[in-house]
Amino acid sequence: MGAIILLSLLGILVLYLGLYNAKSLLLPVSIAGLVGALVFEVLAWNSGAAPIYHGMVLFDNFALAFSILCIVVTALVLLLSQEYFSAISKNVAEYYCLMLFSLTGALMVCAYHNFAMLFVGIEIMSVALYILVGIRKTDFASNEAALKYFLMGAFSTGFLLFGITLLYGATGTFDITGVKNYLVANPTAISPLFYGGILLMMVGLLFKVGAAPFHFWTPDVYDGAPILITTYMSTVVKVASFAGFIKLFSYVFSPLHDFWTPVLLVIIVITLFVGNITALMQTSFKRMLAYSSISHAGYMLFAIIALGANANTSIFTYGVAYSLASVAAFAGLILVKRSHGSDQFVAFDGLAKKNPLLALVITVAMLSLAGIPLTAGFIGKFMLFRTAMADYHIILLVLAVVNAAIGVYYYLRVVVHMYFYPMAEQEEKLAVPMGFQVVLLITLFLTVMIGVYPNYIASLL
Amino acid sequence: MGIFYFVAFLSVFFALMTIFTKNPVHSVLYLVITFFTFTVHYILLNAQFLAVVNFIVYMGAIMVLFLFVLMLLNLNKDTEPMKSTLVKVMGAIAGMCLLATFLGAFRVLEGQNEYVTGNTDVGLVKNLGKVLFDEFLLPFELSSILLLTAMIGAILLAKKETKQG
Repeated sequence: MGAIILLSLLGILVLYLGLYNAKSLLLPVSIAGLVGALVFEVLAWNSGAAPIYHGMVLFDNFALAFSILCIVVTALVLLLSQEYFSAISKNVAEYYCLMLFSLTGALMVCAYHNFAMLFVGIEIMSVALYILVGIRKTDFASNEAALKYFLMGAFSTGFLLFGITLLYGATGTFDITGVKNYLVANPTAISPLFYGGILLMMVGLLFKVGAAPFHFWTPDVYDGAPILITTYMSTVVKVASFAGFIKLFSYVFSPLHDFWTPVLLVIIVITLFVGNITALMQTSFKRMLAYSSISHAGYMLFAIIALGANANTSIFTYGVAYSLASVAAFAGLILVKRSHGSDQFVAFDGLAKKNPLLALVITVAMLSLAGIPLTAGFIGKFMLFRTAMADYHIILLVLAVVNAAIGVYYYLRVVVHMYFYPMAEQEEKLAVPMGFQVVLLITLFLTVMIGVYPNYIASLL
Repeated sequence: MGIFYFVAFLSVFFALMTIFTKNPVHSVLYLVITFFTFTVHYILLNAQFLAVVNFIVYMGAIMVLFLFVLMLLNLNKDTEPMKSTLVKVMGAIAGMCLLATFLGAFRVLEGQNEYVTGNTDVGLVKNLGKVLFDEFLLPFELSSILLLTAMIGAILLAKKETKQG
């Protein structure tokens, strides 16, 4: 709880800093605040067994682990933002503030114990993003992305709310333990409204995570938004939404899993194929990452199918691996785009000669996203597949492995461009600012470390 | 019960008119009337607060805003986007499936459910305030962040930038 309060106040403080034109203070203060929030979360580790504030929030280790991941990734994104926002607009403080508020919403989604908190959290997270996506007011693609995201987001919120309403109509409570107790107490006489509620909530959340039949907004929004915001959306927002998703399904709806597992199975298969096959055809690195993020949503849904003690750990590990690799890949994209003005694969030609370190980091990130051993991505995929295997979803597993193989092809394409294509003539070296160097090295280190010593993270939850 | 059926009929009728009328301005006006019939429903259910909020916010503020936007946009037949028959058919089928599911669910629902008939005074402002400032205090306070975010965003998007981005 301390972290949520601290971040809310931090957002307001940042606004005041903007008011008094203390631009150089914005980044240090934000980072310091995030570190403070991190300390609060770490101190609360192993202490939150019971829900607090009339059962509104529950800070168990599951919520804390996902909160910590969100805070760390936000800090990495903010480190990349130093010169990024000021090039777009004068009102830099407001952007920091909106990102911090969005993070507050993400933390609420991670820790909710009542549907009211889930709803408020998702809304705070999304409303801040609608604005951030459209911060390039003169850029047509950014405007379009913001409008699309807003309409789709509002639409999906409608589904979510209707679902919550039906669940309330069936059980008479918003408390998730109350809903679960209702399921356990009446295993045979569950109100028909409840089934509709489950389906509608599922649809609403699938919209938010961008899974396949509800993914139409994802590529355009990820492509049109400024790269930094795309990074934030595809990491923090996705991870937080999945934390909310898995809590809902693995804890609350688990007694009814015979009902919703087939639906989710179909969605996973569609998501994997749509994401991977469309990613194959892209020539733009940014769009490729957007489509690949759809397929990653499919992999993460795996853990929800295969409920069990390991599901939380495996989805967390996958979230960590995916977030780190995405931040590294997008950071590389920002640098390349800054020097070339293009986000096509061609812009990466010969990067290995221009800047070997950057090329190395992007390569490791791509390998991690593809799931090659010795990177965090491999551990994530391995744990997800193992939990699915334990439940004998063999056909699903075969389909997923086929998709992972397709993924390797398009992830390695950018590596091939970096190492084996000659660079365009007479180009100066690519300068890497300080903040980027820190982020790139941190993500490189963590990705490899988790890949080599997975036990630290696997024993966490 | 007679008054309920009458108002319910009006709700459905005006909702259908909202969809079927050609002129967008008329459509919005029918929607306003639909919302008004909802307000009557809320009063019949003894949900005073919801009735007042629905009346002021939905009918008063949002629908008037809608109307202004429509008039400013000057929509007519020429600006209407092309809609393929396939999309229309798909939309109709999906909508009907949803409707059938819910009608089926509502049909088997027992009307004497304790949550339906339980506390009829819960919609009064006094009881709502008690719940809001006691049990739901945390979400209530945190929703201030939501409003602040929306406010910052509105100002940010509406303000003229002096520097070109």
